[in-house]
Amino acid sequence: MTTATLPSATLTEPGLDTRLRWAFDDTITMTRRDLIRTARQPEMWTFAVTMGAFFLLLFYYVFGGAIGAGTGVDYIQFLVPGVLVITALNGAQQTGNSLAVDLSEGVVDRLRSLPMNQGAVLTGRTIADTLRNTLTLVVVAVLGYLLGFRFSGFGAAVGGVLLAVGLGFSFSWISAAIAAKVRNVEMVGMLSMFWLFPLLFASSAFTPTAQMPGWLQAFADNQPISVVADAIRALGDGTDASGLVLGSILWIVGLTAAFGWLSARLYRKNA
Amino acid sequence: MSTNQSPPIIEVSDLRKSFGDTAAVDDLSFTVEAGSILGLLGPNGAGKTTTIKMLTTLLSIDGGSASVAGFDVATQPRMIRQAIGLAGQAAAVDDKLTARENLDLFGRLYHIPADQRKQRTEELIERFDLTEFADRPAGTYSGGQRRRLDVVASLIVDPPALFLDEPTTGLDPRSRAEIWNAIRSLASQGTAVVLTTQYLDEADQLSDDIIVIDRGRVVGEGTAAELKSSLERDVLEVTVAEAGTRDRAAGLLDGSEVVAIDETTLQLPVNRPADSLAALRRVQDAGIEIADFQLRKPTLDDVFLALTGEPTS
Repeated sequence: MTTATLPSATLTEPGLDTRLRWAFDDTITMTRRDLIRTARQPEMWTFAVTMGAFFLLLFYYVFGGAIGAGTGVDYIQFLVPGVLVITALNGAQQTGNSLAVDLSEGVVDRLRSLPMNQGAVLTGRTIADTLRNTLTLVVVAVLGYLLGFRFSGFGAAVGGVLLAVGLGFSFSWISAAIAAKVRNVEMVGMLSMFWLFPLLFASSAFTPTAQMPGWLQAFADNQPISVVADAIRALGDGTDASGLVLGSILWIVGLTAAFGWLSARLYRKNA
Repeated sequence: MSTNQSPPIIEVSDLRKSFGDTAAVDDLSFTVEAGSILGLLGPNGAGKTTTIKMLTTLLSIDGGSASVAGFDVATQPRMIRQAIGLAGQAAAVDDKLTARENLDLFGRLYHIPADQRKQRTEELIERFDLTEFADRPAGTYSGGQRRRLDVVASLIVDPPALFLDEPTTGLDPRSRAEIWNAIRSLASQGTAVVLTTQYLDEADQLSDDIIVIDRGRVVGEGTAAELKSSLERDVLEVTVAEAGTRDRAAGLLDGSEVVAIDETTLQLPVNRPADSLAALRRVQDAGIEIADFQLRKPTLDDVFLALTGEPTS
């Protein structure tokens, strides 16, 4: 057993390079911790991973005939990109729930007293949730394939799934910001319904926007959920996707930057 | 081991914190030497946790100054965080990770190199007797085991200063004794410990120095023995048979120092044993039935009562 010594001599104020290395290491440490936590709760992750497949089957068999017949589109080609997007958003909500649990249980106070990079608590969480989400989305894509959905090529398939993953990542940050603000698991759940549902329905995720009133259609066509869903559809149909893919990337980067900044700020201020 | 010439590890001077108009901590000053334990004793809401939070960089300070291991709390939070261990009121170990994994997680977050981390983890598991449950997830532990892991996790860097916020609240006597042993063993290695407690026996058993705080202000300080001897007078405790007669009895017992302990029990300091006889007779003559009484030497509880005007929980 070593004896405690006054560390003033050995401790130094970490320089920028040290702090960057810590930020990287701590993010990996926290991601790892969150992934282990997830892996040890099989009832939670099996539910999360099969959720997307469940959505897909439900929509395909329950609404498929009616919507397909009414709109005259190839429904499975329309549906799978929508379900990928819905699934990504659903998975992103988990970020806020988990973070609110950590915040309300004193874990975060403890972490804040450590010499770690404080942002790693948030980045580790969003990255871990995004990795789990990726698995969920691949399951949806494979099931979609079995039901007859086709991407125009392998590159398009990878790109399509990645866009959904990216959208989920950026929405994880929205969820994190809400949790950092309200810090209560029930409130986080309720608030998420409050903004996510209208946004989801006023999008092209479920139905084409053509029948919506003009003012709503203008909003619905340009909001991030629709842009990403339409980009994935274009990658499926093999039509020109470049504009939609660029729009998707801009939304994903913009939302991540804005809400990443906001959640870091709220986390520091309220913790 | 530090020598007597070393400066104190923790130095707090005129520390202040307010929430709105309420002063949560008001002009608190103390020092803690290497290897000694300071007990912050006080009821709920006394400002104990607020003090710990300021010293561990979780809360900003409004006034005064504080330093830990030579670093200023207000201006060098990064350095402070490398030099302290904290076990807060809520056990913050990860319930899905085992004790070994929890210790490893904290080791990583203190940026200890892998080989040292491993060695230190095994050392702590053995020294604090965690072997029995080291590979079970913390969610399966008893309250005492969980708390022990929580305290041990803050030792992964062998910090010069350790802060424990109510380390044994809600634990059974055996678990408390285990935590006490762990804390004593740490201090004997040279760690400066600040612990908060609502339990007088805990402060009495563990602390070299005790600061009694109430509503953010210091109301007494010294060693347990000094605090007790500050009450030179004996204590008379009287229990009346009927709750309804308590307040009348209080009037008859005389003096403004009578304090009600519960619905039927009163307590007051007496200068001479003979005074208590006269006081008891006055109560009896008024027709109030006395169920029980005792005359005793003051305990730390009485000190607390005299200082804060409230019995401890």
